[in-house]
Amino acid sequence: MTEAPLLQLDDLWVSYYSRSMLGFAAKPFHAVKGASLTIEAGQTLGLVGESGSGKSSIANTVLGLVPPSQGKMVFDGQDLGALKTRYPAEIRRQIQAVFQDPYSSLNAAMTVEDIITEPLRVHTKMSKAERHARAVELMKMVSLNEDHLNRHPHQFSGGQRQRIAIAAALALQPKLVVLDEPVSALDVSTQNQIINLLYERRDALGMAYLLIAHDLALVHHISDRIAVMYLGHIVEEGPADRVYYQPAHPYTRALLDAVPQLDPAEQARRRAARKAAPAPDLQRVAATGCPYRNRCPLAMPRCEASMPPAYQVEGGGTAQCFLVEEQTRKGAA
Amino acid sequence: MTQATPLRPRKLRRPGASGLITGTAILILLVLAVLALAADWITPYDPLRQNLMHALQGPSANHWLGTDDLGRDVLSRLIYGCRIAVIAAAEATAIAILLGVPLGLFIGYRGGWWDWITMRVVEAVVSIPGIMVAIVIIALLGAGLHRAMIALGILFSTSFLRLARGVVLAEREEVYVRSARVIGASDSRILVRHIFPNIAPPLIVQVTLTVGAVLLSEAGLSFIGLGVQPPHASWGTMLNTAANYMDLNWFLAVPPGVAIIVTVLSVNLLGDVIRDNVGRGIATAPSAAARRRKVRPAEPVTVLPAPTEDEVLRIEGLTAAIVPEGGTETPIITDLSLSTKRGETLGLVGESGSGKTLTGLSVLGLLGAGVQVTQGAIKLNGTDLLTLKPRELEQVRGNQVAMVFQDPTTSLNPAFTVGSQIAEVLRTKQGLTKAEAWEKVVELIHRVGIPRPEERARAYPHELSGGMAQRIAIARALSCNPSLLIADEPTTALDVTVQQEILDLFRDLQDEYGMAILFVTHDLAVAADICDRISVLYAGQMVEMAPVAELFADPRHPYTRGLLSAMPHAASGEPPLPTIRGSVPRPGAWPVGCRFGNRCDFHTAACDHPVPLEGQNGRLIRCVHAERFKLEAAS
Repeated sequence: MTEAPLLQLDDLWVSYYSRSMLGFAAKPFHAVKGASLTIEAGQTLGLVGESGSGKSSIANTVLGLVPPSQGKMVFDGQDLGALKTRYPAEIRRQIQAVFQDPYSSLNAAMTVEDIITEPLRVHTKMSKAERHARAVELMKMVSLNEDHLNRHPHQFSGGQRQRIAIAAALALQPKLVVLDEPVSALDVSTQNQIINLLYERRDALGMAYLLIAHDLALVHHISDRIAVMYLGHIVEEGPADRVYYQPAHPYTRALLDAVPQLDPAEQARRRAARKAAPAPDLQRVAATGCPYRNRCPLAMPRCEASMPPAYQVEGGGTAQCFLVEEQTRKGAA
Repeated sequence: MTQATPLRPRKLRRPGASGLITGTAILILLVLAVLALAADWITPYDPLRQNLMHALQGPSANHWLGTDDLGRDVLSRLIYGCRIAVIAAAEATAIAILLGVPLGLFIGYRGGWWDWITMRVVEAVVSIPGIMVAIVIIALLGAGLHRAMIALGILFSTSFLRLARGVVLAEREEVYVRSARVIGASDSRILVRHIFPNIAPPLIVQVTLTVGAVLLSEAGLSFIGLGVQPPHASWGTMLNTAANYMDLNWFLAVPPGVAIIVTVLSVNLLGDVIRDNVGRGIATAPSAAARRRKVRPAEPVTVLPAPTEDEVLRIEGLTAAIVPEGGTETPIITDLSLSTKRGETLGLVGESGSGKTLTGLSVLGLLGAGVQVTQGAIKLNGTDLLTLKPRELEQVRGNQVAMVFQDPTTSLNPAFTVGSQIAEVLRTKQGLTKAEAWEKVVELIHRVGIPRPEERARAYPHELSGGMAQRIAIARALSCNPSLLIADEPTTALDVTVQQEILDLFRDLQDEYGMAILFVTHDLAVAADICDRISVLYAGQMVEMAPVAELFADPRHPYTRGLLSAMPHAASGEPPLPTIRGSVPRPGAWPVGCRFGNRCDFHTAACDHPVPLEGQNGRLIRCVHAERFKLEAAS
C-alpha cells in the first residue's frame, strides 16, 4: 500500500472577483483552472510557468493566503479547501514559505534574531533562552555567523538575506515549504549556494518543497517532479528528468528552446530555425479549446474544438495535448 | 531580477548655516523646557501679583519686559507661559497620538466598512474649520486649558489617523507582512509587532508638526478666551491683554508674540531635520561645487585599438565615484576603457555592484545625485561628452544615443498614450510637425513587430503586455535613429519566450539601422545570444574582454569561469551545484589587489598587488595567472 501524499490538489480553481463601483460582482478572473497536483512527503515539486500562468496563485492558495474557489486541497489527510476560516495552528506551522525578494520579505525594523524566532514566539511556549539557542542552531544550519543575530536585515547582502528567510522558514520544522522564486533576485554566483543549501536541508530535515520558478533548468536540478503551467492549466506534469529531457507538450518544448544557451553557435542555429518557422499568431489567448493552440506550431483542427484532457505520457506523468493521445495510439497500433 | 547597484540615499551632512540653525532650534527648545520646569524659582516676581501703581510700563531695570494692565511683571508671566505651552503641547499631542494612531492602524489593516465609516467621519471633521470644531467641543466640555487641549487632541488626531492608515495601506502589501501571515501571526500581532515599527519615522515628523500647530492653536484659543482663563498667564492670554491695550502700550504684544514665533519655528525646524535623517530620503540636487568639479583627463590607454572610422563609442580610463559632500570619494567604477563600432553589439556582463549599469548611465550623463565621473573620457562619434555643457548633452541624448531600460512598464509614462510618447521625442528632437510625427510613430510601431500599429499607438502602457511595452520602448529609443543604443537588462523582466522575441528584434533592427548597441546584462546566456564581443565586469573593473565565441570556448578569468559553471543549464544532475564562494564585495570594501582574490581558488601572494588589464587582439584579461590558463587551454 502506498502512503497518502503530503499535499494533493484535485481540480483546484482559484478565481478573483473584482467588485465594480456599485458593489455588483463583476466577471470573475480564473487564475487557476482545475489544477491537480500531488507532492509526496520529503520530495520536491517544481512548478514552472510564465508570468500570469497561475503558479503564484497556487502558491498563495497552498499557503492559505487566497482561498480556492472550487476543488479539493488535502494536506496531511486534512481537506484545507473546505476550511472556511484560517488554517488551524497545527496546520499553519507545517506549511512555511520563502519568497522571492529578500529585500522586502524581511522586516527592516526587526533584528535577525527577532525575524527567525518570530515563528517560535507565535507557535511555541519556548522561553527566551530556548528561543535564542534555537536561533543559534538555525543560523548554523544556513551557514551564517551567530554573532549576526543582533543585526538588522539591511546589513546583509541578497544571498545572506535569503539565508535568513530560509532559517525563519525552517524554525518550526515544517513538513512543506513553498519556495516562490527563491533565487531569481540573486546574483548568479550566489544562486547556486542557496540551491545547494535548500537541497541539503531538505534531505537532512525530510521536508517537501513546492518550488515555484520560471527557469526550467534550475527547477530540474532539485525537483523530483515538474509541473508546467500555462494560463491557469497544468499542461504537463511528470518526473523531472522525463519532463526536462523528453517534454511531451509543445509548450514545455517551447519553454526549453527559448532558454538562451551558453553556446553562441547553438544560438545562431536556433535563430535560423526560428526565422524559417512561420511567425506565431500574436493574438495569444484562444477563447475555446486548447489555450496554447494559437502559439502552437503543431495545432490541429481538433485543438480548436475542445480542451484536451490529461493523457498519460510514456515515461511517467501526464500532458494535456491531443498529440500525446495520437502518439500513444500509433504506438499501440 | 533587479540588479541595480545598491546605492542608498546618503544622509548628506550639510555643515555651516543649517547646522547652526539646528543647534539654535534645539537650544531654544531646551531653554523652553528648563524655564517651564524651573518657573517657580527663576521668575523675578509672582506672575499674579498685581501692582496697579506700575501698570502698563515699558521695559525697565526692575521689569525687564515691562508690566501689563494690572502691573504684573511681563517677564514672569512669559516664563510661566512656557509651562502652559509645554503642558498644552504634550497633552494635546498625546491625545492626538493615542486616539489617531491605533484607530488608523486598525482601519488601514482591516479596510471594508470600518474604514469607510471612519474615513467619512474624518472627512467631515476636516472639512469644518478647525477652530469651529474646537469651539463646539469646548462648548460641550466647557472652557479651560485641559478641556481645550482635549478638543485640540481630538481635532489633530485626524491627521495621525490618516497618516497611520496611509502607511498601513502601503505596508500591508509588503512581502514581510505576507511572511508574517504565513508564520501564523494574528492580525493584532502583525499590526503591533511587524507593521508599527515601520511607521515610526513619518510619525515622528508628524509629532513635531503637531506640537507646532498645538502651540499656535492654544494661543489662539486663549486669545479668544476659550483656553487658559485669567488671571493665569499663557502666551495667548497675554496677547489678548496686549490687544486690549494696543493704544497705550504696543510693546505688550512683543514678548508673547516673539515667544510663540520662535518656539513654533524651532519645533518645525527640528521636525525637518528629523525627517531628513530618518525619512525615506528626499531628492537632493548636486551642489554647485559638485557640478563644477573638473574631470581629470584619462591616463594613456593601452588596451584599446587606435580609433577607426566606424567607431561610435570610445570610453577611456573611466573612473566614477560616490562623492559625498565634504566626505571621501568611494570609487564604483575604476579605469574602464572600451570601444564599440557601427553595427556591433558589445555586452557588459556582471553581477550587482559590478558597475555595468553605471557605465551605461555615465555615457548618458545620467548618474544620480552624489555619483560622478572623476576621471576619463567618453567619446561619442569623436566628441568627449564629459566636456559638453548640460544643454549640449541634452541634444546628444535621444539624437545620438538612446536607452532602453529593464522594466518597460515603469520606463513609459502611464499618463500618456504610447504613441504620443514616441511622437514627443520626434517633435522635440527632430522638429517634426504633429502629423509628420504621428505618421512616423505608426511606422516605427509597425517596425518593432506590433500588429495593428494605428490602434496600438493610442493605447496606454498598462493596456500592453510586458513584451509589447518593451517593443514600444525600443521604438521610442530608435525614433531619432541614434548611433548608439544602450540597453540595460532589456529582457530581464520578461518571460523567456518573450525574451527570445525581443532579442531577435534587437538583431533585426541593428541589421537595418546599423547602430552600435551597448548591451548590459547579468545573464551570460543572453549575452551569448545577442553580443559580438563581451566585456566581463567585476567590482567596478573589467576583468575580461573577448569576442563572443572565444569567451565561451575559452574563458580565462577565474571569475568568468566561475560564472559560466554556475549557470543553471551549465551543470547537469543533482546538487551540490558548482558555486563561487562568498559574495561580491561592496564598493569601498574592495581588496587592494585582485578584487576577485578572496573568492578565487587560484589565489597566490602575487594576487595581493593591483593587477593590470593586459592582452592583445581584442582579448583582454586582468589576472596574474592569465598565461597559465592560456597554456592550459592550448594543451
